[in-house]
Amino acid sequence: MTRSDAALKLRGGAEYGIDLEAPGMVHAVLVPAPVAAGALRSVDLAAARRAPGVVAAIGPADLAALLPHGGDPDRPVFPSTRILYRNQPVAAVAAETLAEARAAARLVRVDVEATPPLVDIEDRYPDWPTGLASDAPGVVAHVHARHGNLDAAFASAEFVHREVYRTSGIEHVALEPHACLAEVRDGHWRVRTTTQTPFGAREDAAEILGIPAESLEVEGTWVGGGFGSKGAAFLEPYALVLAAASGRPVRLAFGYRDEFFQGRSTLPAVIRLETSVRDGTITGRRVRLLLDTGSSLPGRDFATGYAIGFLLGPYRIPAFEVEGYAIQTNKPPFGPHRAPFAPQCVFAIDSHTDGLARRLGVDPVEFRLRHVWQAGDRTAFGQEVGPFGAIAGLERARTTVAEWRRTLPPGTGIGVGVGFWSTSTGAGGEVRLRLTPAELVIEQAEHEIGSGSIVRGLVAVAERLFGLPTERLRVVTTSTARDPYDSGVFGSRTVAALGRAIEAAGTAMLARLAERAKAKGTATLTVQDGKLAVGIGARSIPLSELLSAEELRDGLVVEGRHYGRSGAIDPSRVVEGSFYAYTDFTAAVHVAAVTVDRETGSVKVLRYAAFQDVGTTIDAGMFRGQVEGGVVMGLGSALTEETLWDPDGRMRNPGLLDYRIPTIAEVPEIEAVAIEGFPGAGPFGMKGLGEPPIIPVPAAVANAVADATGARVLELPLTPERVARALMVD
Amino acid sequence: MTFSLARPSTIVEALRLLADDTEGPTAPLAGGTDLLLDLDDGRSTARRLVSLDKLPWKTLAWDGPRLNVGATLPLARLGSDATVRARLPGLSEGVDAVGSLALRHRATLGGNLGRAAPASDLLPILLAVDATVRLVGTAGRRELPVARFLRGSRQVDLAKDELIESVSIPEARLSTYVWQRVRPANDVSQVGVAVARSGSSASWRLALGGVLPVPTRIPEAEVHLTEERPRPEDVELAANAAATHARFVTDKRASEAYRRRLVATLVRRAVARAQIPPGER
Ligand SMILES: Cc1cc2nc3c(=O)[nH]c(=O)nc-3n(C[C@H](O)[C@H](O)[C@H](O)COP(=O)(O)OP(=O)(O)OC[C@H]3O[C@@H](n4cnc5c(N)ncnc54)[C@H](O)[C@@H]3O)c2cc1C
Repeated sequence: MTRSDAALKLRGGAEYGIDLEAPGMVHAVLVPAPVAAGALRSVDLAAARRAPGVVAAIGPADLAALLPHGGDPDRPVFPSTRILYRNQPVAAVAAETLAEARAAARLVRVDVEATPPLVDIEDRYPDWPTGLASDAPGVVAHVHARHGNLDAAFASAEFVHREVYRTSGIEHVALEPHACLAEVRDGHWRVRTTTQTPFGAREDAAEILGIPAESLEVEGTWVGGGFGSKGAAFLEPYALVLAAASGRPVRLAFGYRDEFFQGRSTLPAVIRLETSVRDGTITGRRVRLLLDTGSSLPGRDFATGYAIGFLLGPYRIPAFEVEGYAIQTNKPPFGPHRAPFAPQCVFAIDSHTDGLARRLGVDPVEFRLRHVWQAGDRTAFGQEVGPFGAIAGLERARTTVAEWRRTLPPGTGIGVGVGFWSTSTGAGGEVRLRLTPAELVIEQAEHEIGSGSIVRGLVAVAERLFGLPTERLRVVTTSTARDPYDSGVFGSRTVAALGRAIEAAGTAMLARLAERAKAKGTATLTVQDGKLAVGIGARSIPLSELLSAEELRDGLVVEGRHYGRSGAIDPSRVVEGSFYAYTDFTAAVHVAAVTVDRETGSVKVLRYAAFQDVGTTIDAGMFRGQVEGGVVMGLGSALTEETLWDPDGRMRNPGLLDYRIPTIAEVPEIEAVAIEGFPGAGPFGMKGLGEPPIIPVPAAVANAVADATGARVLELPLTPERVARALMVD
Repeated sequence: MTFSLARPSTIVEALRLLADDTEGPTAPLAGGTDLLLDLDDGRSTARRLVSLDKLPWKTLAWDGPRLNVGATLPLARLGSDATVRARLPGLSEGVDAVGSLALRHRATLGGNLGRAAPASDLLPILLAVDATVRLVGTAGRRELPVARFLRGSRQVDLAKDELIESVSIPEARLSTYVWQRVRPANDVSQVGVAVARSGSSASWRLALGGVLPVPTRIPEAEVHLTEERPRPEDVELAANAAATHARFVTDKRASEAYRRRLVATLVRRAVARAQIPPGER
């Protein structure tokens, strides 16, 4: 694998958001709300404005004058009436130095009439909301679907397996904190920022500020890890209003503690599962999901309906009823975290499935093979399942389990987890190819976030499409003012969607070249005498014969786009809310081997194998990187990572000492195996790989713990204390 | 966080700088692995740091059976010393437990004592091997047992113009240190248990970490450990006494009930482990 960014990054030459500087720049600090809930009486900025070095201090009352159209009333830059979470920014200060900005921010007097916050969703709903759920207090989204005759399935069942699972809030822990640099000049708003979605950030920031998207330019930097945390606008609106207020370039950067205090990530959930069984087969399922969505606003919830899909697959379930409730709490709004909610849901459903198999006395892998989707099946929502590598993965897993049982010491627990995902190419994108005699340039909007999708993935696709060597291919990104539109780096869609756009542009470019060459056959690109040339059959034509003088200088430019289509769900199954259809079906089958210290509850992962449905591997190094990275991150969710909150809405572990991501000492040998031949939504049938490898990790580990001990831990993460408690109960 | 840094090369100069508050609060700086974080968090208000880097305290010396460890010796060097591991295995195991190897290249024994954290991985074993702290100050030198030096949570018996010079351990001891954490590496111990048996008297010392206000010996448990090879029923009594008598609390790292349960388990394991020769553990 060749990564064009490797040398630059090793030498420290890559400019991240945190490195941004501009002449005349000032430093910004956000003023945090002192309590988690309450009525905001006033924000007094007088003392801050007089403080040394301060060039601007702004609060809720200043927005009207700074924002020509007042901004988005639902999402004001600063709240003017109600505090939604502790540390919510209520004002901002810019000063000549960071120390001066910090000192001035401390002089801002925020007067709040505090009210008791809601922190734990189970405090509000110890059981579940009843009545007209969408109107129940604090419910910001309610989804409901059903199919088949569940009452009959339950009535005729041999037994109904009932469990309640709880999952934890987790953070992204990208190495690079959020940071941006904003300037406003002559009605032109410009922000340089570390973002996974330059266009998404532009649309979102423009909406928040109430300005036309075209008047805002977003220029990305290298991104030091995203995992979903750098999606929509975050710091940009604050920096932009301060830039408007001060007339100076404004730098706003989070420290690591801010990342925790303001983190918009996965929050806790409670999942109740009831599954009926007859003749060794699942006949029906009822699911209730209670999801903490923090201070997310009503109507802004995608997670509830999306999550529920994971609680009904990837297994055939003839009859079901599901209900999901998103509950507003006084925490930062939830946000996407690598495969949002899927690892949590799969932990619940695949622990449940594993337990069902054990209760039936059936081998858990066999039990899954009995039920798992294959192409032609229907999902719970009636969508036809496409090519899906779950059975192939499970068969490999069965062999691995048998081998480990033979070779690992007695007492070792072995567990399997099965997750699924879909390459989100429904979020589309465009590229511009620029062909010169020297190289083929791929112009597109995304910046490399670390996974290699841009610097390597797109190049790998182009190598394979055009048969050109790596050094003739170059990916270029500038800003939203010049780049073709793209939705962003998320949803495992980047290489797949942009790859298909490259494919479309490439096909058009080759057709145009063939036409100019007046050739019957198809054109290809080749290298001839050190220059790019067009091949037609055995002939090779120099570009100088086919391109105009201007094109020879600036390149032949051809654009391509891809807006993927997902299948359809059966609307008759939906009672209320939004549920989602998939563009393709990606399986992830994992096997974990653990030992459990029965007295202390400590879990040690000895071995790990990941069988990953990829469609087609476009780069073996990237494949390994994504699978290993996903597994390691998943081990954190499985074993140690959780955000802890005081009843007053204060985060208790806002740092890396007590928010424990795995260290290399906890990472076992990971075997990463590609399952090929089940094509997906990307070019050459490739499937997205950013998210699937994290999904089944908590389930595989929990099932291994159950295998080792006979005890089922119903709550993430499986800390030693939780495991010890489960062992005491059993 | 802004501070000035002084790097005196003599003890006298270091003590003079410490006594001088004209530039604001002053604090000694060893490895800085605690102090710099405390400054960042606002837990320390020091404005001038006096680095101990140039003082002649990065030492490890045997004086007959007695081991003297200089206050600023990096823990990594203490941990890699084969003689220490053979004669005071519990001390080496305590050192192994501290953070990561990278951290141990900076962190020091003096700093760990200076911080006096409830969850320190070094204080339990220092208590169990009867270590003493040697202090040097403007008023002269004094020496006191670790238990007396520790006055409370993050509070020690140390004057403003006084420094920890070294730590002294009277003799080789059969000993061990065992701990429990949520994450094995680079985490804070929920509970740590150190035990040591004196070669001369056959009586055991047992000290716990993760307790409030600071690590402490538990005499109620020690009374059951009087034999060279304690009988299982005595170990059980000691384990239960330790679990009962320690002052544990529920905090974000563990519940009180889990800590008590861990203590009983870890005491059993520690007494068994201490009897295994260091090379075979
Ligand atoms: C990531 C991480 C992991 C850690 N893991 C552990 C762990 O597992 N177990 C554990 O016990 N600790 C752990 N620590 C805490 C810390 O590393 C240890 O307490 C270490 O021994 C402190 O030594 P230092 O030299 O860095 O102290 P410093 O930070 O330099 O000083 C600590 C305090 O002692 C004072 N001081 C230092 N030297 C002297 C002296 N000679 N005389 C008088 N006062 C002095 C300082 O003024 C300061 O108040 C961890 C810290 C970090 C950052």
